Formats: sequence, C-alpha cells, structure tokens
Amino acid sequence: MFDLNFAKEAFPQIVLAVPLTLLIAFIATLIGLVLAIGVVIAREKQVPVLAQFLATLVSFIRGTPILVQLYVVYYGLPQLLTSLQAAGWHVDPNGLPAIVIAFSAYGLNAMANLSESIRSAYHAVDPGQYEAAISVGMKPATAMVQIVVPQLIANLIPNFTNIFLDLIKDTALVYNIGLVEVMGKANIISSEGFKYLETYTDALIIYIVVCWVFAFVLRQFERHYRYAQVSH
Amino acid sequence: MLLSVKKLEKRFGKRTVLKGVDFSVDQGEVVVIIGPSGSGKTTLLRNLNFLENADAGTMNFKDRQIDLAHPKKDDVHFVRRHSAMVFQNYNLFKNKTAQENIAEGLIYGQGMDKRQALTIASDELKSLGLAAQANHYPSQLSGGQQQRIGIARATVLKPDVILFDEPTSALDPELVGTVLDDMRRLAQAGQTMVVVTHQMSFAKNVASRIVFFDDGQIVESGSPDQVFNHPREERTRQFLGALAENY
Repeated sequence: MFDLNFAKEAFPQIVLAVPLTLLIAFIATLIGLVLAIGVVIAREKQVPVLAQFLATLVSFIRGTPILVQLYVVYYGLPQLLTSLQAAGWHVDPNGLPAIVIAFSAYGLNAMANLSESIRSAYHAVDPGQYEAAISVGMKPATAMVQIVVPQLIANLIPNFTNIFLDLIKDTALVYNIGLVEVMGKANIISSEGFKYLETYTDALIIYIVVCWVFAFVLRQFERHYRYAQVSH
Repeated sequence: MLLSVKKLEKRFGKRTVLKGVDFSVDQGEVVVIIGPSGSGKTTLLRNLNFLENADAGTMNFKDRQIDLAHPKKDDVHFVRRHSAMVFQNYNLFKNKTAQENIAEGLIYGQGMDKRQALTIASDELKSLGLAAQANHYPSQLSGGQQQRIGIARATVLKPDVILFDEPTSALDPELVGTVLDDMRRLAQAGQTMVVVTHQMSFAKNVASRIVFFDDGQIVESGSPDQVFNHPREERTRQFLGALAENY
C-alpha cells in the first residue's frame, strides 16, 4: 500500500535537491544561449568550414539521446584534458567535478536546440523589416538591435519555454554521473526504505510544480512581448 | 541633376533583370515609372537605395560618384540618409507604434533627440488626421493608414528623393485614394519623387516625367502628354493599348 507518511517525510528532503536541478538548468541554458547565438551568426553568415562544422555538430547533438551525450562528456572530457595536459596545457583531468560535466553536456544540448529555434525565429522576421530600417538611414547593426532582434525574441519565446522545461526535466538524468538532484535524492530515499512509489510520487509533484511555475513566468513574458505588437 | 545612374546592370543568377539602364532625376521632379510586371521596375528602384547590389554601373548622387558594383559603406549610408523608400507592403516596424515608426529614422538614422523626434512624429500624425492612432501598432491599423504612416516615415526625414515602390498595389480600391492624395500633396510641395505604379491616372496627373520600362530597359521617357498621347515606340503603344482595353 502507498505509505503516505513515508511520502510526507521524504518530501522535504527531496525538495532540498531542487536548487541543484535549477542550477544545472539555468547554467546550461545560459551557456547554451551564448553558444547558440555564436552558432546562429556563423551559420547565417555562412562562415566557410565553421558553418558546415556547426551544422553537423548541431544535427549530431539533436540526433542523439541526452543520456548518451552525458556519458560521452563524462568519459570524454577527462580524456581530452589528459591529452591537453600532455601537450603542455595547465589543466587537471582528475579534478573535474561532476557538476562541470553536467553543465558542459547540458549546455551543449541547449546550444543545439536553441540555435535551431533562434534560426527559425530569425527567419520568421519579414526581411522587409530590416530593409525598411536601413532605408530610413539606420546602420545595419542598429537595424538589427532596434527592429529585427525584438521581433526575433517575440518569435522565440514559445520555443524557448519548451527547451527550458525539457532541460529541467532532463536534469533527472544527472543521477547517472553521481549528482544528487531531485531524481537522485528520490532514488536514494527509495532504496533506504524500500518504498519506491512514494518517493517517485514526491519527485513527480516537485517536477510538475517547478515546471508550472516556469511555464507561468515565461508565458507572462511572452504575453508582454506579444501584447506590445498585437494590441495596444 | 540630383540623381543619375549609368549603365546599371543587375542579374539574378543567369537572368539579366536590368540591361544597362541610364536613368536620372532632377531636383523637384516626379518621375513615374510604368511598365509590365516583371520588367524590372522594382529592381531598378531597389538598386537606387542599395537594397540590391548591382553587377555594374555608376551612380551620381548629390555630386558623389559611386561605383554601383563596389559601393563603399560610406557611400551606401550617404545615399540612404538622403533618400527614403516607401514599400508596397508598407513594412512598418511591427514592434513599434505608429508614432515610433515615424520617429525611428530621425532618432537612429539622423541622430535626433528622442523627445524631439517623437514630437515631430506626433505633429505629422495630427496633420494626417491620424492622431488617435499614434499609439497603435501596425497590426491595429488598416492598410491605408499603414501606408500613409509609411509615407510620413519617409517624409519626416526630409530626404532629397523618395522612392515609391508600388505604394498602392496592396491596398483595397477604397483606400487607394487617401494614399494618392498624400502623394499628390507631396509632389505639389516640390518633393522629388520616383514612383513605380500601375495607377495611370496618378501618372497622368501628377508626374512631371513618365518612364516606360520593359524587359530590363527604358523604352521611352517623356512628359505624360507625350508618352500617353503620342508614344514614339511601338512597345509603348502596345502596353497602353492593353491598359485601355482593361479599363
């Protein structure tokens, strides 16, 4: 039978792991966003070699499960650092914390998904908007900042919300590399008391509340942006 | 001569759209370019503002010589700062209000103080009878209102020349009149204009010169009376004849 008391007692302990879940999601989004902007610029400007390389990398990341990527970075990054160390770089392959691996793997994953979303949001802005901006005398960079990018952001928000919520849920997998976030904590408590349904139900509730909160906040943001363009 | 281009050539892939066009506009002239769809009229206009890059040709604008195939950044910016464009699909900035749309070019193109620019924009809207729409976004305006604001956005810059790319083609017939009235007033005020249009009554009544354009080149050019009533070229007669049959 479902042990309600066990679930209640486990709940606050699992909640304590929420900050780690959010930290990974936030940092990965931040890293992903910065890298994605670079990827979009390189691809849209069709920088030779780099554009093709990035397109391949993006399709590779989008075409593989995040758990596999996590393992590849987990085992690959220290080896890369070892090679760099052998080449005379001052890096320490043994001192690599699991959280850095999580940031790297999830950041790369966010980069791939965000760059595709930014590209489609950019293409959804009518080229006539940019033309009108430069025809009233704006310099190309000003035209981008004043006219194109604000419209791009409005187009991007719905997809951004999806990617960010997916990222929050996907952090459940970092338990596999030894980080104890919400899912990890639930696993540990389950195995201590041999009560699985109770703690996983706790985790379920925590995830859904966290995702609801962020979906709500981002929807307000989206409404604000759309509001500015559709109604007075 | 305010603006002239010589031997302007433009290709899209293997197709040559402009075949060595010589074209010029004097101060205060209203030049109306007519001709069949796909003949290159719009492409010519877009080349005058560097929205397209020409493959060959030279431009003289306000005594500046510009190589059209390899224009310097400074020259491109100079031409755009002293000219303005009105688009077929209005192209009002979707993320800006009517008032901001008119002010943007003054602020970010000419470096005017923001408050002063917004005041000018607001006065402009009042004179158009659109003061109530000052804070409306383009999506809340009719096509006619959008295009009138598009024209105001161009005129507040006090450009030496305004390029109109089929400004009434996307409008309901009922809304065409108000836009043409605005353009007529501008012409009467001495604004230099180059207008690509299918509105023949506007061409007849407002133009100081008509240019008939076909197949990437100017077929003939002259006063409205000369081109409409005594065309020199057979191709012009054919085009005008086809128009007469349709109306």
